[in-house]
Amino acid sequence: MNRKMRSLHRSMGAIVAIFVLMLATTGILLNHTSDFELDSRYLTWDWLLKHYGVDDVKPDAVYLLDRHTISQFGPQVFIDAIPVTQSHVPILGGIIIDDLMVLATTDALLLFTPEGEFIERMGDGLGIPSMIQNIGLFHGDPVVQTRDGMWRSDFMLDQWEQLSLDGVGWSEPKSMPRSLQIELADYFHGKGISIERVVLDIHNGHVLGKFGIWFADFIGALLVLISVTGLWLWARRR
Amino acid sequence: MSRYRYTLRLVILISLIVSSITVFARGVYQTDQDFLAETFSQAVPKSKVVWVKGELASTITDILGHKYIGLRIRYWRTAERSVWILEEIGKEKPITFGVVIANEQIETVKVLAFRESRGGEIRHPAFTQQFRQARLNELQLDRHIDGVSGATLSVRAMTDVARLALYLDKFTG
Repeated sequence: MNRKMRSLHRSMGAIVAIFVLMLATTGILLNHTSDFELDSRYLTWDWLLKHYGVDDVKPDAVYLLDRHTISQFGPQVFIDAIPVTQSHVPILGGIIIDDLMVLATTDALLLFTPEGEFIERMGDGLGIPSMIQNIGLFHGDPVVQTRDGMWRSDFMLDQWEQLSLDGVGWSEPKSMPRSLQIELADYFHGKGISIERVVLDIHNGHVLGKFGIWFADFIGALLVLISVTGLWLWARRR
Repeated sequence: MSRYRYTLRLVILISLIVSSITVFARGVYQTDQDFLAETFSQAVPKSKVVWVKGELASTITDILGHKYIGLRIRYWRTAERSVWILEEIGKEKPITFGVVIANEQIETVKVLAFRESRGGEIRHPAFTQQFRQARLNELQLDRHIDGVSGATLSVRAMTDVARLALYLDKFTG
């Protein structure tokens, strides 16, 4: 029995030694994150960013207007990489009329200058048709498709007449240019992953996801076992 | 029933009530269209705009403590009154206010849409009636507005919007 326990103790010792070293090293590093400036130094390796899921951004909607890219992430609306306003309902499309960029939501039109400055939200109080589904242009005039039908206005956007038109150039969702994706990833995810975060995730196993957590639990259980077997052997020797 | 189970049920009940109050605090209480129709008894005048630039822009920045969110502000005016639909951030999200001004005094201030999770109490008449007949005195209201516990930023937003509407009424009048 004694020999079996000693053999078990040795085998487990060999297995857990490497992880004890890792836990001890990362633990010491975490105790001194400020001294080593681990919280203010960042890693930007592509594979690491990908592993943390911060190499990319996923907009809810993207439209291309002239030379600008309009995108929406939750309530935040961007023109190119600049946050310009918030909309708590989805952007459904956009057009350019005269010197205005006009974005449509279900219940309002959002107006911007060509430089992307937010001018105004025109809602139902200004006679904008409700339940908008899309926006487009017909011979330069703004047209909106609603649940109740099609409406046309002029550049003033304050008078709308209901009619039916063929050949409207409707706004269509597009994919975001790669260069802008990278810019927006910087906006959302900052400088990269802090070394402190990586060390902490190695320490607690989170770096390997769910598997890592179970693995850390397994190593923890081995440490308990090795302690028990060690104590048992010590007691027997006495 | 044991005291423990009774306490647990009470805690759950209180949590449900509090969470439902929080949920109901958000929403559109009145559309712009309905607010205008109510104010002008269906005869809504054509809207006008004032562009936020120059001296006006800097005064608005003084009133709000930051730039206004848009480049122009829409309003509706008759001989008796002017109506302003303005947005201001409470804590994180914009609150839409409707303000009616008559004789350089506030006639009505209403929350038309509230998007924050806390602070929705400012929509209640018991709170908004404090603003009735308030005037502008050196860009400040001529009276003290009592706060609402837990709604400090929403109260501040409403007070700032009231000051802004009074100033804009005078500016465009």
